[in-house]
Amino acid sequence: MRPVLKLSRLVCLPLALVLLAAACGSSGSTKNGASGTGTTVAPKDVPTGGTLVLAADQEGDCTDWMGSCGGSSWFFWSIGNLTMPKAYSVQKAGDGWVAKPTTLLTGEAEVTATPKQVVTYHINPQAKWSDGTPITSTDFKFTWEQVAKGNDIYDRTGYEKVESVDDSKPDTAVVTFSDTFADWKTTLFGGNYGVYPAHLMKDHSEIANGYNWSGGPWKLDHWTKGTEWVLVPNPAYWGEKPKLDKVIFKLITDSSAEFQALKAGEVLGGYPQPQVDVIDQISAGGLTDTKAQYSPETGNAEALWMNAGKAPFDDINFRTAIAYAIDRDAIVERLFGKLGVHKALQTVTAPVLAPFASTNAFARYTKNPAKVNEFMTKAGWAKGPDGIWAKNGQPATFEIKTTTGNKRRELTEQVLQQDLKDAGFTVTLNNQKSSDLFGDQLPKGDFQVALYSNVLTSFYPSNCNLLCSKNIPTADNKFSGDNWTRTNVPELDTDYGNVEKNLNQTEAQAANKKGDDALADNVSILPLDPLPNILLTSSKIVGSVADNPIEGPFWQMTGWGLAK
Amino acid sequence: MLTYVARRVLYSVPVLIVASFLLFAFVRVTFDPTARLRQSRDVHAVERARHDLGLDQPIVKQYAHWAGGFVHGDWGESTRTHERVFPIIRRAFWNTLQLIIWGVGLSAIVAVSTGVFSAVRQYSVPDYVFTGLSFVGLAMPPFWFGLIAIQFLAVYPKNWFGLDHTPLFFVGLHSSTAPGFADYARHLALPVLTLTVQIVATWSRYQRASMLDAMSADYVRTARAKGVPRRQVIVKHALRNALIPLVTVMALDVGALFGGLVITEEIFSIPGMGRLFIDSLVSGDANVLVVWTVVTASFVIVFNLLADVLYGLLDPRIRYT
Repeated sequence: MRPVLKLSRLVCLPLALVLLAAACGSSGSTKNGASGTGTTVAPKDVPTGGTLVLAADQEGDCTDWMGSCGGSSWFFWSIGNLTMPKAYSVQKAGDGWVAKPTTLLTGEAEVTATPKQVVTYHINPQAKWSDGTPITSTDFKFTWEQVAKGNDIYDRTGYEKVESVDDSKPDTAVVTFSDTFADWKTTLFGGNYGVYPAHLMKDHSEIANGYNWSGGPWKLDHWTKGTEWVLVPNPAYWGEKPKLDKVIFKLITDSSAEFQALKAGEVLGGYPQPQVDVIDQISAGGLTDTKAQYSPETGNAEALWMNAGKAPFDDINFRTAIAYAIDRDAIVERLFGKLGVHKALQTVTAPVLAPFASTNAFARYTKNPAKVNEFMTKAGWAKGPDGIWAKNGQPATFEIKTTTGNKRRELTEQVLQQDLKDAGFTVTLNNQKSSDLFGDQLPKGDFQVALYSNVLTSFYPSNCNLLCSKNIPTADNKFSGDNWTRTNVPELDTDYGNVEKNLNQTEAQAANKKGDDALADNVSILPLDPLPNILLTSSKIVGSVADNPIEGPFWQMTGWGLAK
Repeated sequence: MLTYVARRVLYSVPVLIVASFLLFAFVRVTFDPTARLRQSRDVHAVERARHDLGLDQPIVKQYAHWAGGFVHGDWGESTRTHERVFPIIRRAFWNTLQLIIWGVGLSAIVAVSTGVFSAVRQYSVPDYVFTGLSFVGLAMPPFWFGLIAIQFLAVYPKNWFGLDHTPLFFVGLHSSTAPGFADYARHLALPVLTLTVQIVATWSRYQRASMLDAMSADYVRTARAKGVPRRQVIVKHALRNALIPLVTVMALDVGALFGGLVITEEIFSIPGMGRLFIDSLVSGDANVLVVWTVVTASFVIVFNLLADVLYGLLDPRIRYT
């Protein structure tokens, strides 16, 4: 799971209050748009030249995208995605998104499923690195070797199933798999890593502190740690050339300062986290000449994750009662109502993967005290005189954990606590440092209920990682699986397992939907919201400006210009 | 005096060793440098890292190894960025130092001037004004003042006067597009002002109080009675003695500022020591945290020593023995 959401700052709330007060005196309006539309101008009419300054509220730890330090999505979107060659990218198609081959390839890769999965990539003969060296199958092979066999790798998913990469023909990379891997398009030779240049490096870690080569439309000019990173056009790029002369990403970690910088025109765009203070500041107004796009069609699914391996959550009736005790729509309204997002997510599959999702799987779980009574009674609990459920003299008390310092999650917890108290449960909150929660407590099962988000790292469902029984962490596997809820349901193993291995898209979609429905019956997870993305851009930016739920907001930056 | 300084430096060494050991132990107990690896799919990654970092050794042995490296310039590697810790601290320290030099310098001038003026003209209108402003400064949290300063000195003037850019900048310390001293000054103005307002509010009160004490002392009255000019009495007789308590406060405050500018650095996006601390804390970067705490503790010790030395320079009655 890629840590997209940096922990919120210590001073968030008071700063938000200050800005709210300050904003009362400011003028102007913010247009609340639906997802996807920007200032659409014919490419030939987009002005050329100029320097665009954007606010970055996160900085990655390094630029070695496949290294364990390279896990920041924000950083990859603003550098890696624009400088690393990729075989496939996720692009808009009608109302949805699809994975399409980039200009690195001459067209769709060829796929054969039997006897082994083989994918053949035909590399565009015009594709070359910024030093003029052609991009070849050797670069594909080097990338695979680094990810599959290198040290200190963030995630080897998919690459570990590659048996070999044949680079005997420079313009053709033939990838043979040892085991079928359906998510090859957006994970391999693209995704969050890209393709690395074999002729320029021996080990992936060499680019941890930046790199002066490029295989994309942009080139990293410099990265001043803690301050900014700057992109300039890559003159050797064979595809559409950038219109702008330079793009500066200024690191502004404080959201209030980011809003002031937008108001003052010091920066012309930002992609802040959907935190409570950010939403309040947007709705308070004052961002003149700034368009705000809110996109609930994201790769995120914030949910309550219940530990089915630990009492009392090992009882499906208890979990079901909890699901009926919570008014999820009210939580979403409280958090994101101002952005136009009012309804809870009804599936664990992220919204951007709608064709794979049973989008109403959890719709039955609305706040319903009668259902709470029914399922708690079925589980052997009875309400005491204090209105709290009890069994064998033990009250229905449990703990919710989430990451410390995240105001949005803290607010969610408070609402949950009240809802659950009303339904006869005593809830305590025990928030933890991100590294402790995700690195230690969840894998070891040291939790009852956790609140966090599943973030897609590729354009394909990865629910089996989270919910198939083979991925339950145990002492035997040194707690390395991601099924932290200890969900152990044969239907999920079959359905979500099929999604992982089925190269037929239609069948995979049907299997994932079946899995979603089975998960709703098992209710070890209770989806809450899609964590809508917020993109703020000045009207001075000309071109198509829209968020890409997988590749971030800068994926079309090549076509951006600045109004004169 | 040199003997005294040398002795104080020697006293500081065991203090520093004990402090660094305690800080090292606290950080080790609180943060696990291998925490990030626990999510790795390499099941042996944590084990390997613990061995490589010597975490399987007793704490005293770990400390001895770390301290040996520290004094030889090997400050270890960040578990977050895999960068050496020394350049990380150096970079952050330089940014904070710039803020401190300008902020403390300006604050000292303003605080001493207003404190002396208020004391000399006690209960005058300017005294009431300075006193009132000091209380406002004391009551105003830095995040509040910083944002108000941005709003009124950068954002509004740009809009009111239709400027292309804000007259003062508030993101970082430099513009990569137009570097130069003017650009530097426009970046520094607001964070330095924010820092100065907080410091002046406190220091000017100390200065006023100690100046009032000095002004009512017998030796001042005697000097006045002997016909020493008023200006000379204030500057040579009263101010010199009145500076002693302020110097103590200043030395302690400056030492603490090296790690204490978290909010100012956060608001003005300055990657200094304060922000480094927060980033390292949030990400559990134990190797940076332990060095950070030792470096900032060292500054507190050094500035305490400096305060003691300055006592003697300002007050000839104090003898170094």
